[in-house]
Amino acid sequence: MSMEASELQDLSDDADYAASQQQGSASMMRCDSEKRSSSSEHEGAELIYLKDNVAIHPTQFASERISGRLKLTKQDSTLYLSWTPYKGQTSNAKLSEKDRSLYTITAVPFTEVRSIRRHTPALGWQYVIVVLSSGLAFPPLYFYNGGVREFLAMVKQHVFLARSSEDANVFLVNDFQSPLQRTLSSLALPSSLPVASGQSSYPSDGGSSSENQGRTSAGADNRVSQYGVRKQKSHDPTRDLSIHLLEKFSLVTKFARETTTQLFSENNGFGSVDKRWNNQPVHNYPEKLSNIAEEKHHESSHSYPEKEPLYDEEPPIDLVDVPADPLEFNKLSLVWGKPRQPPMGHKEFTAFLDSEGRVVESKALRERVFYGGIEHQLRREVWPFLLGYYAFDSTYAEREYLRAVKKMEYATLKQQWQSISPEQAKRFTKYRERKGLIDKDVVRTDRAFEYYEGDDNLNVNIMRDILLTYSFYNFDLGYCQGMSDYLSPIMFVMEDESESFWCFVALMERVGPNFNRDQNGMHTQLFALSKLVELLDGPLHNYFKQNDCLNYFFCFRWILIQFKREFEYEKTMQLWEVLWTHYLSEHLHLYVCVAILKRCRSKIMGEQMDFDTLLKFINELSGHIDLDSTVRDAEALCICAGENGAASIPPGTPPSLPLDDGILYPQDDDVL
Amino acid sequence: MPSRRRTLLKVIILGDSGVGKTSLMNQYVNKKFSNQYKATIGADFLTKEVQFEDRLFTLQIWDTAGQERFQSLGVAFYRGADCCVLVYDVNSMKSFDNLNNWREEFLIQASPSDPENFPFVLIGNKVDVDGGNSRVVSEKKAKAWCASKGNIPYFETSAKEGTNVEEAFQCIAKNALKSGEEEELYLPDTIDVGTSNQQRSTGCEC
Repeated sequence: MSMEASELQDLSDDADYAASQQQGSASMMRCDSEKRSSSSEHEGAELIYLKDNVAIHPTQFASERISGRLKLTKQDSTLYLSWTPYKGQTSNAKLSEKDRSLYTITAVPFTEVRSIRRHTPALGWQYVIVVLSSGLAFPPLYFYNGGVREFLAMVKQHVFLARSSEDANVFLVNDFQSPLQRTLSSLALPSSLPVASGQSSYPSDGGSSSENQGRTSAGADNRVSQYGVRKQKSHDPTRDLSIHLLEKFSLVTKFARETTTQLFSENNGFGSVDKRWNNQPVHNYPEKLSNIAEEKHHESSHSYPEKEPLYDEEPPIDLVDVPADPLEFNKLSLVWGKPRQPPMGHKEFTAFLDSEGRVVESKALRERVFYGGIEHQLRREVWPFLLGYYAFDSTYAEREYLRAVKKMEYATLKQQWQSISPEQAKRFTKYRERKGLIDKDVVRTDRAFEYYEGDDNLNVNIMRDILLTYSFYNFDLGYCQGMSDYLSPIMFVMEDESESFWCFVALMERVGPNFNRDQNGMHTQLFALSKLVELLDGPLHNYFKQNDCLNYFFCFRWILIQFKREFEYEKTMQLWEVLWTHYLSEHLHLYVCVAILKRCRSKIMGEQMDFDTLLKFINELSGHIDLDSTVRDAEALCICAGENGAASIPPGTPPSLPLDDGILYPQDDDVL
Repeated sequence: MPSRRRTLLKVIILGDSGVGKTSLMNQYVNKKFSNQYKATIGADFLTKEVQFEDRLFTLQIWDTAGQERFQSLGVAFYRGADCCVLVYDVNSMKSFDNLNNWREEFLIQASPSDPENFPFVLIGNKVDVDGGNSRVVSEKKAKAWCASKGNIPYFETSAKEGTNVEEAFQCIAKNALKSGEEEELYLPDTIDVGTSNQQRSTGCEC
């Protein structure tokens, strides 16, 4: 990360930079009322603001950025936002002229902008994310020469801009609602993600219903439905973006298909490749391609209400057309998802260390854990590395020292609440409330598991102490339900109060935003998940869209506590250590979500599940998901999605480390 | 076509963390109590078939997370609700004080067509704890609150022992049915004028 930054801050030999110089007005704000000649600009518009060297990063590599010019214009008292990439010059040969134009933002009126989120880290580039009322967001606009503050100040002169009470870095546009409604609308997830433009790459799922149903998602406010139905084909850059992604993606899938064709022609078990690759609707989705989770679900279906209460005729399952999976997923996993190895043992781990105890090749270690996990007795040594509590290049001695120092530090932190007298507690509502919540939750966390079972269990008390101490260590975040689910396996593995605390702290650095008051961390992950499903399974995405399921709230529990409630204890630990390696992606957990959903796609679509039924179905998958094959699928999906997958996940989405270095909960007040 | 009349009644259970929402739901639907319930994450629901006169209904009971931080998710879960059950713990004043918040939050997020007359039912749970000695919210106080909110029906229950749970949910179902009937007017297949008039006059005056 830091390498990339230093490499890229040198702009001297950069073609984009040169282009901007040639086109004049380098990075200066200018207020004038000249009419401009560019064809994309409307007649009579007044130029309010112009900023050069504002770039989009279409891939995870900043070197492949597309630089351009950001403008604010005003016409008939409406403010418009535009961003145009520079013409002619490219910093990277891989990006064609067409690629560049796909990202162009053409005069978006601020009446359709819900909010602007800014990121102004001390190091690295400032950027803003513009979120539309429909819930769509444009890719981050990176201000290579700074000036986010001036940009926002300029916007503020022309539209009503209010800082979100939940997040000081979010500015709500034209938001006149009560604070409460504001909270709600900031939560309402997008109701109208762009149609996956399936016409070009995928045929639609046997009908045009997806075009007509502009229904809003759960609780989305009126503005969403008002603007969500707008579909100006030539002026919708997000639509263009999705076409672009699919075009690239179709190349990947084409490659995959060719590979699988070879593989399967040699493999009798699965017969020849389905000729319906080109997305004909498939009758009777082949049962043999269904999965363990689904089959298990059938077995346990006695607990599941099979009847759709509102209708007396249930749709006969086999008569519903289920659109083909564009990835022929189950076959793909055989190509890319490597078989899992046995867990890493002590001897093998020691081989990764030099004589003083440093992990020489951290990537190799992470890869090893990714493909096989860790033997339980060894977890105590390896988890602190994976969680970031120990540095990979620390020595035995340094770690021993760290443990000693941190032990004292923990004792000091713990003392903060232990020293609160009953008299003081009476006057300390927040403390009492937190303690009350924690007390309630620790006695119902994994109590059936041996380590925590029984009355007066000492470990339950330690769990309470750690959580209470954490709520003082991170007073801004405090305690939230779900934290005890994270802490429980850590305590079981570490078997030491202070070490458990610091491992938990390290984990919360990444997943803490899941528990933010404004639920923003969850919001961004659910949003990213919807983009990934759109990318990796267009028909399923369309199904969710048509059935008001695009908010993905049915995956809320999966993401909030990273599948802790979905697998048995040992399997959860196996999954977590795989996720924590961040080997293929920091966001493998989202690919795990996609993998599970894809495994159930024929059931979900075949049974025409609505939101309620889907939520129930997902909740009841708990305990019926096969971990190894799911992780393999997730790996295959992650590799298959490649850069496009990474580009679907906004920067800073948990569990990525926060973008604003060091400041988890910025309270600054410099713009407004 | 008797099955035509089967209708879904959606009920939402709200209240502070740990007041016993999950336990109440499970006691009513499965007649079971467990000390091992985990804190609810997100939301879940159970269904139960109930019969009124000659009509069969499916009661869909939604159980949600109790921590305030998750309240805003309600948007996704509350819509289309026919009745809202507010639960507090008779041994916790705070859980009682928060009832106003829960009620208002529900009305905002579910935005029912007629908020003034939307049916709520209040449950004071955990009356069994310590033989009632640790109780801090009196029945009188709870009833006064109910009266101030337009005569909300009130029940005192023990989900652990099953006390009064069936009765409370009978009332909940009736109230949900009353509220659901206005909507049925738009569904010619399910309308039954005779029954609907009867139902309207026999609400539980609990």
